[in-house]
Amino acid sequence: MEDFLEQMAEIMEVDSVNPSDELSSFEAWDSLTTLSIIALADDEYQVSLTNAEIADAKTIDGLKELILKKQDA
Amino acid sequence: MKLNFKNKKITGMLSILPSNEVMFEDEMHNYSFSEAKSLKLKAAMGFKSKRVVADDKTTGFDLAVAGLDYLFDNNLINKESIDAILFVSQSPEYIMPPTSNVIHGRYELDERVLCLDINQGCAGFVIGLQQAFMLLNNAGINKVLLINADVLSPKVSKFDRNSNPLIGDAAAITIIENSNDDSPIVGEIRMDGKGAMALNVPAGGARMPISEETSLYYVDAFGNKRTKNHLVMQGDNVFNFVQTKVPEQIKNIVDSSEDNIENIDYFLFHQPNRFMLQKLADKIGVARDKLPSNVVENFGNSSGVTIPVVTIFNLGQRLESETFKVCFSGFGVGLTWGTIIMNLGNLDFCKLIYK
Repeated sequence: MEDFLEQMAEIMEVDSVNPSDELSSFEAWDSLTTLSIIALADDEYQVSLTNAEIADAKTIDGLKELILKKQDA
Repeated sequence: MKLNFKNKKITGMLSILPSNEVMFEDEMHNYSFSEAKSLKLKAAMGFKSKRVVADDKTTGFDLAVAGLDYLFDNNLINKESIDAILFVSQSPEYIMPPTSNVIHGRYELDERVLCLDINQGCAGFVIGLQQAFMLLNNAGINKVLLINADVLSPKVSKFDRNSNPLIGDAAAITIIENSNDDSPIVGEIRMDGKGAMALNVPAGGARMPISEETSLYYVDAFGNKRTKNHLVMQGDNVFNFVQTKVPEQIKNIVDSSEDNIENIDYFLFHQPNRFMLQKLADKIGVARDKLPSNVVENFGNSSGVTIPVVTIFNLGQRLESETFKVCFSGFGVGLTWGTIIMNLGNLDFCKLIYK
């Protein structure tokens, strides 16, 4: 997952993101970015995420943990 | 269930689209999105224009009848040769009688002609083909008219950017007959009723009749406004279901028929939006030009009618003289996902008309 922060920066349309950043704090945050995250998780990490799970993950790091947890399951 | 047929053939396809065209920009001010975000949504999903009925007086039946009139007037089919009519739709004329019987009456068809309505959506073309093939296994049934008709735009809230930018209306008529060609027709249809409500219209059936209360607008977590009389879609669950189940199904069918994915000329899929279809093409491992995804941007997603539309729009006249090996796949409400791999070509007609 070494590219994860870069991938998230691209989705959020910013130069860089920090693990502690809140997902909802980004200006680009909306249903379309949520869909982009679902597609990223499916393409790159082979896991299925729902809107509710992403919202519950709250931060960039929380999202990373969620994906890792799903990959292990 | 697995499908295995031979000696069956599609001999004609006609699509009927509303002449009324609506551009994405005409409606984007209805969405709870800034103009910049709406345009981003448009670019990502591949929205441009769509064909929807101009008013709520035009139904799926009306589009189907326009197509049947065209076929009879141009002598492309003969009334006496029809043995069965399948009407696949989620927008029937009435709760009772079946719309197929109304069509039977309108054209004064013979009493021996079987009529059957099927409630199916995005997989409605694949389900209809499978039912037609099964009917053709009965002695005495030689020609089945499969009518797919969906006018769902009146069931979608104009303030719902989840569904409204992509919804389109259309009908299609496909003729299926017995044939001497014994090349294999293989496929599979699967269902998962646990996801039945992933795409639904809450009110209007017996469980929740339409009332003043169901007609009140509510706002969802993403700012979309709709009533309980409107279609509602759990986009995230539908996306995950399609990206997981459809590639798996195609691989299984190809593997178990000892075929190769490279032997398939075209992948003619249900058209939810360009974004999902390009992802599907990548996942299945086929070039994007073999899996056309241009229906939503030109006509909109007309549920069970999109497979005939994508076929006719992209291959049209070529199918009147050439033959291709195609993979039809429909997936959505039910949840239902179905795929059929067969030869398609040398059709008596393959046309798109406007009403």
